[in-house]
Amino acid sequence: MSSGDAQSGAALRRAVGTATATATSAGLAFAAIDYLGVISVLAYAPGAAAVTAILIGGLLVLLIAGIFSELNGLYPTAAGIRMYLGRAIGTRPALSVTFTYMSTVVLVIAADAFLIGAAARHVLHEPAGLTYVWIVILLALALAANLRGVRLAGWVQTSVTYTVLTGTAILSIIALAHSGRAPHRPLELFGKGAFSGVQAVAFALFLYAAFEWVTTTAEEARTPRVITRALFIAPILIWGVCTLFALAMTHLTSFAAIHHSSYPQLLLGSAALGTLGEAWMLALTILTALNTFNGGFLVASRFIYAAAREGHLPRELASLNVNAVPWLAVASLAGVSALVAALVFATGEWLLLVSVGAAIEAAIYALGALSLLILRRRETRERPFRLIAGRPLAALGVVVFSAMFLATALSDPKHPSRLSPLPLAIILTVTAASAGYMTLFAPRLQAAAAARARVGKPKRRPQRALVGPDEPDAQTPATGIADA
Amino acid sequence: MADWSELAEALADYTVNCNENERLRKMQRDWSRTIHFTCTDTGTVFSMQVEKGEILSTPEGHIGTPDIVVSTTSEMFCDMFWGDLNPVQNYLRGEIAVKGSQEDIMRLDAISYVIWPDS
Repeated sequence: MSSGDAQSGAALRRAVGTATATATSAGLAFAAIDYLGVISVLAYAPGAAAVTAILIGGLLVLLIAGIFSELNGLYPTAAGIRMYLGRAIGTRPALSVTFTYMSTVVLVIAADAFLIGAAARHVLHEPAGLTYVWIVILLALALAANLRGVRLAGWVQTSVTYTVLTGTAILSIIALAHSGRAPHRPLELFGKGAFSGVQAVAFALFLYAAFEWVTTTAEEARTPRVITRALFIAPILIWGVCTLFALAMTHLTSFAAIHHSSYPQLLLGSAALGTLGEAWMLALTILTALNTFNGGFLVASRFIYAAAREGHLPRELASLNVNAVPWLAVASLAGVSALVAALVFATGEWLLLVSVGAAIEAAIYALGALSLLILRRRETRERPFRLIAGRPLAALGVVVFSAMFLATALSDPKHPSRLSPLPLAIILTVTAASAGYMTLFAPRLQAAAAARARVGKPKRRPQRALVGPDEPDAQTPATGIADA
Repeated sequence: MADWSELAEALADYTVNCNENERLRKMQRDWSRTIHFTCTDTGTVFSMQVEKGEILSTPEGHIGTPDIVVSTTSEMFCDMFWGDLNPVQNYLRGEIAVKGSQEDIMRLDAISYVIWPDS
């Protein structure tokens, strides 16, 4: 909604407060892929230097929190980034970008399915080929639950998020206690070269990625400040947990062992507490999927539904099943996720998911900063949160996050010493497909919809003569009209 | 600007269309909500009580604690309840303001979509 200010005085029956909004933000950010994200940071910032990278990444995320808080105050809407970009650079470019952005949802769903499949297979000592069976089972369960309209209650989501964060932190502390060593050379972030240091920070940024999606719940927040608080508190929680996890990884496992593993968190669990630790980390990994599958499918399918209803996607994608779920949108998401997971499984390139996801997020952050820069000039009205020194900080954000985009889009965490154009090529392909679709096909869909509306549907509303100000007022029923 | 009698007429038609649509009733069978509406131009306020997908009443004034709050101009409300506009387009243009969960907002739009698929 553009303003969202002209509202009923009454508070919503089920308004979201700070604790729930913070859990939503942290839960969206902390997925199973974050365990691989830490490995990617360690690939460029070995040992305790990863802690410095995660800290710098966290400070940059606080800048993003400020930028998104102001944008959310201006447009508190479920359309989120799409609305901010639409107001700043126009609807079509905004939709092109948002379609690309939504591909990160597919990446994260696919990654979670793959990681849990790989972890389950490892714990159950099954042949490698069974990983894909697990992936299909997980996605089928998620698809069935979504099609039936099953939603995690708010309190369940909150409990799951805090359990995953606390569980990861506690196991990391136990692992550190086992090791008993102090962090070694934490400030040697650029020990492997200046660009490696930048890449480490860029991947650290990815650990917080998607925390800003909490802005899509702006319309159910008790006040706009609830979202602002969540945007600032959630990164602090993630920073604490990821720092402990990275330190524990450094102290208790060898990087060579975890670098090429798709379940490094299980290796840490095993090193800290044996079979119990492994089961502990497997349980937490499965719990992260509850949030990912619930939030990911929900956010992306509702975005697709709205775009189809608006006429930017084929109207079939807005088709609702008997549970009021946009079934084709949900099924398409599950199908594409299964395909991506199959590709990852076949190629063993799971760290590529991290590179692509990290690069897209950095690009979105740069575009968010650009939107604020533009909207500071266009929107002069008061907002509930105003970033101090907003213009220079937004300009800084555009530069820094663009650099972060390049640092991750040209990286290969599997072979950190060399550059790879593959993530950039994938992103450019997806972006070109989105832009091409918006330029060539979406206008045709809208023209067809407009023609249908002109020909097939006359106005239903009866025309009335205009009532002048001094004429007698129309009849005013005082009670309900259900029986009219 | 539309007065309350025009809104009441539109709401009456909307209520009949909703309640007589079997597919919609089945789809919304688990949806019970109180919705508050505010006309930003005239200041007129009214409510809608939905019980298991059936619209029970649409009285003038804000009744009870809302699950959803919708604000726009009286003209837009009339067009919306007569099925002459696509609420999603106006929502995404910022012309209709809603407070409520994403799921409830989609359910509200789904009513218009199911009754008037060409809107």
